[in-house]
Amino acid sequence: MIFDLTASVINGVLVGAIYGLAAIGLTLIFGVMNVINLMHGATIALGMFSLYLLTTAVGLNPYLAIVPVLLGGFVFGVLVYWIAVHRVIGSSDLMTLLATFAVNMIIIGVGTAVWTTSPYNVDVSVPQLAISMHGYTIPGTQIVAAVLAVILATLLYGLLYHTRLGKAIRAVANNRAAAELMGINTRWVLAISFGIGIAVAAGAGVLIATLFPFTILSGANYELKSFVVVVLGGLGDPAGAMLGGIVLGLIEGVTAPFVNVSWTPVIEFTLFVIILVLFPAGLLAFKWGRK
Amino acid sequence: MSEALLELEDVVSGYDELQVLWGVSVAVMPKRLTTLVGANGAGKTTLLRAALGSIRVWSGRVRFEGEDVTRLSAYQKAARGLVLVPEGRQLFNDMTVEENLELGAYTARARPDYAANLERVFTYFPRLKERRKQKAGTFSGGEQQMLAVARGLMASPKVLIIDELSLGLSPLLTQQLFGTLADLKNDGLTLVLVEQNLHLALALSDYAYVLAEGRLHSEGPSREVANDPDVRKAYMGM
Ligand SMILES: Nc1ncnc2c1ncn2[C@@H]1O[C@H](COP(=O)(O)OP(=O)(O)OP(=O)(O)O)[C@@H](O)[C@H]1O
Ligand SMILES: [Mg+2]
Repeated sequence: MIFDLTASVINGVLVGAIYGLAAIGLTLIFGVMNVINLMHGATIALGMFSLYLLTTAVGLNPYLAIVPVLLGGFVFGVLVYWIAVHRVIGSSDLMTLLATFAVNMIIIGVGTAVWTTSPYNVDVSVPQLAISMHGYTIPGTQIVAAVLAVILATLLYGLLYHTRLGKAIRAVANNRAAAELMGINTRWVLAISFGIGIAVAAGAGVLIATLFPFTILSGANYELKSFVVVVLGGLGDPAGAMLGGIVLGLIEGVTAPFVNVSWTPVIEFTLFVIILVLFPAGLLAFKWGRK
Repeated sequence: MSEALLELEDVVSGYDELQVLWGVSVAVMPKRLTTLVGANGAGKTTLLRAALGSIRVWSGRVRFEGEDVTRLSAYQKAARGLVLVPEGRQLFNDMTVEENLELGAYTARARPDYAANLERVFTYFPRLKERRKQKAGTFSGGEQQMLAVARGLMASPKVLIIDELSLGLSPLLTQQLFGTLADLKNDGLTLVLVEQNLHLALALSDYAYVLAEGRLHSEGPSREVANDPDVRKAYMGM
């Protein structure tokens, strides 16, 4: 029993790191431009299907596929920003919700037409890295996916805190009008930030798809988890999102042996409400990039 | 008189349907300190926002170094050396002092001078050097104002425009900041001040414009404006 729990905890932390990465995509966009990105889930699903295409049609190594997916996600995000989001930035929150929701519906619609809603999976295994304990095995794929999630999150953190572009992004998040006065082309910074947020979500989709089967609708589930994670970590805070992701994964892992999976969302959203009420600024309660 | 460095011609502007400026013309001469005076709500901040491109100029012209820059965005004007220390400081509160100063030097023209400007700014405001790893939002009001001015200087401005330098500052710190401005002016910097503290501002400035209800009420060499009975009564409590 004790060892079951150890395995569940490890399992939870590993999956949680990926939840964290996905949530960073959501929280970055919110932190910089105050937009709640409702195409987050669809983007995760696009990442999953991009992995499917790149491994089956192109024959790429699944882990190498992350690179083109990140680049493609970035370009796609920048385009979506200019076409659908920029015009409604600064108007009511409802407008930006509707704009991103509309893109979400387009992606899901086209995706359903192309791939239907039946499940796909990508064959990945890294048996050399698997860890066995007392009849329970942590698959190597989970370890690789978690490590990659942490690496990507760390790279993003480095970008935000140690590069000129990153400082411009944080300045825009902090005070867009002042950033403009510093000579920063804030429209481009917004577009680039949106592109990065979308790229990160798509990258998280790739990592998830190396672990579990998926459909074009799978993203919705992870979008909801991202919301929980973002609230756990404090809105707009990428470091908090990573920690929040790990906490959520841990909770899922620890409860998994005891309750049926259908209870998972109930537990998650009960937690969501409790945190919103008790810690409205997030568990860490330090703020990043907010006015 | 030499050519104006920054020229506003008949500027009309405002917010959405609210017209605030009704045709204001201002000329800022190089290496001079120009003061903009006016009651609360007269439109001083609005005029600066229109000049800098933060809000749209409805009609009229903004000329900088002889070139028409009316339609340029704020970031493009900043890139040319037109620098504003905005009302209410507008610091990057969640970022450190050092990062605020780095962002001040964001433009291509300021970047090569980063080290020299940083040293200059730290000489004027040693306090900022001691606190350079501290978040700007945790500063006191006076320290924030120092940082706001310092951030403006980091941009290697051709024209430095300061909106309400002394608002909320102690008389001592106000004196000190004015001392700094006097040094900068002697170094040949072109300055524009919007200031409540008319005694200090007019003593230091060369030329003044008086704005009332979105229109120019009067203008002239600072000494004359300081002696204008209207201005003395309305703004200097005399
Ligand atoms: N962001 C805004 N939106 C709408 N109206 C505004 C805005 N900012 C200022 N105004 C209005 O424009 C007019 C001029 O304001 P402005 O801030 O330019 O005055 P000011 O001369 O700078 O005053 P103060 O000395 O108090 O700073 C005021 O009537 C004000 O209510
Ligand atoms: Mg003002």
